[in-house]
Parts: sequence; C-alpha cells; structure tokens
Amino acid sequence: MGVAVDLADVKQWPKMLPGFLACLVFAWIGLQWDFYVIGQMRRGFTESTSILKPHLERGKPIKAYEEYVQNKEDGYKGALSLYQIGLEKVKPTPPFMLRKADYEYVAQTKQIPFKFKFGDLMNQFQFTYVAFLLLGGMIIRNTVGVPKFLQAGTVAARPIIKPGIIILGAYYMWSDVLRVGAIGIGLVIVFVMGLAAVISVWGKRAKADDGLMGLMSAGVGVCGVSAAVAVAPVVNAKPRDFFYAIGTLLLFGTICLFTFPYIGKAIGMSEPVYGAWVGTAILNTAQLVAAATWYGHDALLTANVVNVVRIGFIPMVVMWAIYYYVVKPARAEGIQGQKINVVQVIKEKFPLFILGFFIMVTMSEIGLFEAFQKDILGRDLVRIFMAIGFAGVGLNIAFEDLKKAGGAAFGIGFASAAIKAVFAAIVVMLIGTEAFRIK
Amino acid sequence: MAENNNDFEEKANKAFSIERKEDYVVIAIAAITVILVFTGAIDGNFFSSLFIKY
Repeated sequence: MGVAVDLADVKQWPKMLPGFLACLVFAWIGLQWDFYVIGQMRRGFTESTSILKPHLERGKPIKAYEEYVQNKEDGYKGALSLYQIGLEKVKPTPPFMLRKADYEYVAQTKQIPFKFKFGDLMNQFQFTYVAFLLLGGMIIRNTVGVPKFLQAGTVAARPIIKPGIIILGAYYMWSDVLRVGAIGIGLVIVFVMGLAAVISVWGKRAKADDGLMGLMSAGVGVCGVSAAVAVAPVVNAKPRDFFYAIGTLLLFGTICLFTFPYIGKAIGMSEPVYGAWVGTAILNTAQLVAAATWYGHDALLTANVVNVVRIGFIPMVVMWAIYYYVVKPARAEGIQGQKINVVQVIKEKFPLFILGFFIMVTMSEIGLFEAFQKDILGRDLVRIFMAIGFAGVGLNIAFEDLKKAGGAAFGIGFASAAIKAVFAAIVVMLIGTEAFRIK
Repeated sequence: MAENNNDFEEKANKAFSIERKEDYVVIAIAAITVILVFTGAIDGNFFSSLFIKY
C-alpha cells in the first residue's frame, strides 16, 4: 500500500523519478482541464449569456464583432487609466473576449456553443481539477493499473500536498489563525480527542484487541494514517490490525472525499463552515485538503487551520495511547515505574512541517509579502502543489486496499467516524460562517 | 509471532522516521518556492503561462 517512501533518500530518487514525472504530467492535464474547461469555457458561457440577454429580453440587435471588441478594449483602457491615477486599487485584468467564430455563432444562431455549455455544466457539478485527478487517478489505478516501475513515484507525489499547505500560510494573519485555531482546538478536543477516547473505551468493553483499537482510536480520531503509524509501536499492533485499521481509514476517507462536497452544497454550507467541517470530520490530511479544495479556496483556508491544529494533536494521542494501553494496565497489575516521557513524545511525533506553515504566517503578519506575491503563493503555486499531490492520491486509491477494511475495527471505527461527522456538521453550522472565515 | 510483531514494530517506527525526513524535504521545497517568488523568478504570469489558452 505504500504508507510512505523516503523522499530524503537520494539513492531512491531514480526509482521514484518515472512515477513522479507521470504524476507531474497527470497534474498538468488536470490543471489544464481546470484552466480551460472550468475557467475559460465557463467564462465563454457567461460572456455568451450577456451578449444574448439584451437581444432575447429586449430585442436589442447584437453588435458586429469589431464593435464588440472595440467596446471591450475601451472598457479595459478606461479601467487601466483609473488604476494608474490611483482611483482604482486593483489592477484590471485584460477582458475575456469571444473569438470571432464563436461570437458569430452566438449572433447567428442565438445559441450558446456546446463547449461553453459544457464548461458551465462541469462547474455546476464542481468537476474541478480535484475531482478530475482523484476520480481519474482512481479509475486508472483500478482499471488499466499503474505499472510497477511507476508506483514508487506516485507514492512520492502524495506528500507534495505539504509544501502547498506550508505556502498557503502566506494568506493568513495570526489573528485569523488564532481565532479559527482556538475554535479548532475546541472542535479537536471535543470531536477528535473525544472520539479517540470513546473508541478506546468502547473497544475495551467490546473486548476487541488492544492493538487494533489503539490504532483505530488514533487513526479515526486524529490523523488517519500518520497517527496510526505513530501509535502502532506503542500499542504493539499486529500487522493484520494495522492493515484493518488503515483499510477502514482509507475507505471512510474515500467515501467522505467524494460525497462531502455534494452534501455540503445540498445543505447550503458556506465555504468557511464546510472547511471547518471537513477539517474535523475527514481523517486524512490529503483527503481533507482535497475535499476542501474541491469546495473552494475559502473552504481550503479554513480547513487548513483546523487540520494544522488536528495533526498538532498527534503527540497527545500517542500519550493517550501510552497511558491507556501501557501505563494504566501496568498500574492495574501493580507494576510501578511506567511513565510517559512527554518531551520525548512531542519531539519524536510532532509533525514538523506545521512549523513551516507557522513561519509563513509570521512572514505574512510582518508584511514581507506584497499582495501579488500572496496570490502567487497562496493561489497559483498552491494549486500546482495540490494537483501533484492529488495525482498521487488518486493513483493510489486501490480497491484492494479498501477491501482490507474489516473485523471489529471496521464496525466500531466506521460507525464512530460517521457519527462524529454528523455531529461535527451540526456544531460547525451552529457556530456559523463568520467565526470560521479567514479574512 | 512475537518476532513478526517486533519486525512490524520496527517497520512502523521506520515509517514514522520516513515521515519525519519527508517533513524536512517538504519544508525545503516550500523554502525554495518562496525564494523563487521573492526574487521574481516566479511572477504573476507564471501560472497562466503553463497552459493552453482559449
């Protein structure tokens, strides 16, 4: 299943290179789809609608193409001169104009060309590059398959989401991070740590295996695969338990990933509220970031803060596992001297890349980034990193891994994660949009 | 069985140390990216220049 490959091991790079390059190409195709179909074809739809509307509603004649182009250019020059003399703060972008052939098709047939309708339809279905790469990757993986020589590289592409998470920090101020982070801490303590404790206690009562339930409580509660990997040695997990737990986590995450964006839209969640919801309810960073990006940029901004808080709790969950599965049973048997080395656990298990995110937020706070640099980092480059990561994630969603979900872990883990998702949705909706908005 | 578990424990610990090293790599990638933006090597036109346009 390839939980991780050693990116820092230079000797492994030649092995990773073909698959990584394949992910780069796949990511480019996904972004090209997004840029052309969701971006430009949808703009074509809007433009065609605005050309046809005065004619269809008020019988106004449609202008000649040359006049249409002239009007657009004049409008742009006017906006540009307002910007140059300081009356407009934002520099105008060159206008979107239909090509002559498309314009004449619209003018003659009074219809919107199919390609523009298609772009609008794809946008309505939120079929952005995120869906393209995840669904496309999953289909490729489970039909034609990924050749063995590409597999290491596709696994290596997944963590490329993380530099995206770090540079997204350019978009935040500490006040946003602290405000949303404070609520995030509340959500994490109630839902995430709470769930970890509930699964541990439920598992004990159901007489399920300690190793298995320790993994499930860490994985379902906190941070999917990373937390399960961190806790595995503490709870003496067996390989079978590990694969059951990871299978359940991946299956739950995959279902959430493809359903949450539509559930969010159906129940009218705003982007910040949705971001807080997926940040709390989805168990794996890559899947969470993908589900949030799918919904919109504001959703990603909020989800990122809640996620940072959540994965920052990995050391706490490891400490909980040490206490519940090692220290407590030892004390019950009268063995003294079992202690938790708090500093060592934090040092060993804290996800370091979060510090990179905090550094970026600090740089933003002290004004090191110009507005355009924030846009380059927080929008353009984030999309590139995310696309590469999502290509890797999609190509690694293998049905045979998901089938590994099973045993007692599946029932308890799946049910509790689903209940958590429902309650988290209610709570974040009650808290409301403004509390979660990154300004 | 006990030996298997020890092996697995080792593997789990190794996986976590790989994730730790991975964090150093991703921080380095992010740092290089920020430097490229600061120096102007990556500018506002970079993203749209990558794609075929309408």
